[in-house]
Amino acid sequence: MTPTTRNTLLIACGLVLAAIYLFPLYWMYVTALKTSTAMFAAPPSFVPPNPQWDVFAGVWVERHMATYLKNSLIIASCSVLFIATLGSGCAYVLARYRSVWVDVGLFLVLMLQVLPASLMVTPIFVGFSQIGLLDYPRIAVIVAITAKAMPFFVVLVRATFMNVPAELEEAALVDGNSRFGAFFHIVLPLARNGILVSALLIFMQAFGEFVYSKSLIQDVELQPASVGLSTFMGPNSVDWNRIMAYASIYVTPILAAFVLLQRKIVSGLTSGALK
Amino acid sequence: MTTQIEFNAVEKYYGRYHALKNVNLTIEKGEFVALVGPSGCGKSTLLRTLAGLEKITGGEVKIAGELMNDMPPRRRDIAMVFQSYALYPHMTVEENLTYSLRTHGMKKKDAQEKAREVAETTGLSNLLERYPRELSGGQRQRVAMSRAIIRDPKAFLFDEPLSNLDAALRVHMRKEIRTLHDRLGATSVYVTHDQIEAMTMADRVVLMKEGRIVQQGAPLELYDSPANQFVAGFIGSPAMNFLPATVGDDGHSLKLELGDGNVLPYPGELEAGRKVTVGLRPEHLELVSADEAQFSLKLRIAEATGATTFLFTDSDPEIAVVINDRAAVTPGEALNMRIDPEQIHIFDRETGVRL
Repeated sequence: MTPTTRNTLLIACGLVLAAIYLFPLYWMYVTALKTSTAMFAAPPSFVPPNPQWDVFAGVWVERHMATYLKNSLIIASCSVLFIATLGSGCAYVLARYRSVWVDVGLFLVLMLQVLPASLMVTPIFVGFSQIGLLDYPRIAVIVAITAKAMPFFVVLVRATFMNVPAELEEAALVDGNSRFGAFFHIVLPLARNGILVSALLIFMQAFGEFVYSKSLIQDVELQPASVGLSTFMGPNSVDWNRIMAYASIYVTPILAAFVLLQRKIVSGLTSGALK
Repeated sequence: MTTQIEFNAVEKYYGRYHALKNVNLTIEKGEFVALVGPSGCGKSTLLRTLAGLEKITGGEVKIAGELMNDMPPRRRDIAMVFQSYALYPHMTVEENLTYSLRTHGMKKKDAQEKAREVAETTGLSNLLERYPRELSGGQRQRVAMSRAIIRDPKAFLFDEPLSNLDAALRVHMRKEIRTLHDRLGATSVYVTHDQIEAMTMADRVVLMKEGRIVQQGAPLELYDSPANQFVAGFIGSPAMNFLPATVGDDGHSLKLELGDGNVLPYPGELEAGRKVTVGLRPEHLELVSADEAQFSLKLRIAEATGATTFLFTDSDPEIAVVINDRAAVTPGEALNMRIDPEQIHIFDRETGVRL
């Protein structure tokens, strides 16, 4: 086999795998546009014969998506804000000080990452109800998500901070700045890309969060879009086109953001976002 | 002369590692002092304790008479040039230069004015808008220097600032830094592992080893009368030859232990039979005719560089000779050598102390 034919073959394999992987996404969009007859046609059509574009507007109004998405946005934004503020400081300390205790801390941080949300939610629920945090369910979810996603953020951002040479900070100290001043003037601007990329990934994760929101928020007015979607899907639901329309409205902004920023995300994660 | 910098019995531990051992050093105002020594000798640590980047475990550090032990770097009023230059990558050259002025509360306009003045003298005028990544190594070095001189600090600290430059630029910058020092009337402490840099730039060389100051003095003082074998071997290039020898019965001769009974005369008087180490600088050995020779050894290899030739003998230990001439001897032939007895250095075999 010549190198070119091998390359072609590999690319073909890649495309096939990508197609399989992306098929559900495609099916979501296509199903959303189908009429109920087209939806259950056998064999199914891959291109809807009579696309129903007004389904989106209909679902938006009927399912109160504005409220749901607003809640999702609030929860995700606040979580990211908390995580970025607290996590950056934590990551910086873990990057700059080397000792056994730092290693122990890092290990514990990674441990937290391992525990699944569905396992954590029961003790969180009990604890939060005891301290009365469940009266403010969105805040409860924000706190829970912050705790859950923090390790991921800390590990990523720590790597970014480690790429900022300590000599730059020392130069700033000699140049007349305090430790805090050096952090905000020198280290933070240089780690900005890594922090932004990590925050973006956290945002996407928090925007789609389901387990905590479902368990901790009872009031429909306060629930995020992920929970709204699940209530849409009853055991006997047949209006798949409208569920898919809901899902499309929900994920398209995230998807678009990811596609637009993917080059930055990948380089930010691999190169430590410097230079 | 007033004292600008003082180290009194300074001790520094990293955990159990003893990095600085009872360091005492006084630096006068306007002096250029080079801290030199092999890597790991504590010279950089000493500089960093002066900058306040490391805390000392014991003793006193004073700048301009003021105790600095617990003073953070920003309140020590010193400027430092780092080996990696440590230019702020996200700031332009101008912002790099004005940063320290701005943190000390100078108005932006005045700071920029000052930056332009300094850039004028260091030849950076047309690079002020550039970012560090757009500059060559030499230009970055200049920015690092300018950033230090833009203030009027109590002392300039240099941490191997030339080691990232190529050889030609290094020689050039050596002169430039010294000129700058003289023009500003500054007090400078310069860390280097390169003894040539230390010798050529400094008023005083402080040689360190394993956390201690071994010897300090004017460059030629260290060259002419090294306190011990370590100093003798470190200062001077190529390094001094060391040969084991025994003092002859008359106390005025040195029997070289090279296996063929070579004897050197010695002008001083030593205890007969004492075991010593003889130090001969390669540049002090002369090639002479066979009957004038004090001793002769077979030539193993000759390296000609044009102006000078390095000759290495086929003996154990090997002896290096430097001559300002082409070699008239080919490998395998005898090298007939003599040395002015005044130029012979004698060290105790056991302790390495100069006798």
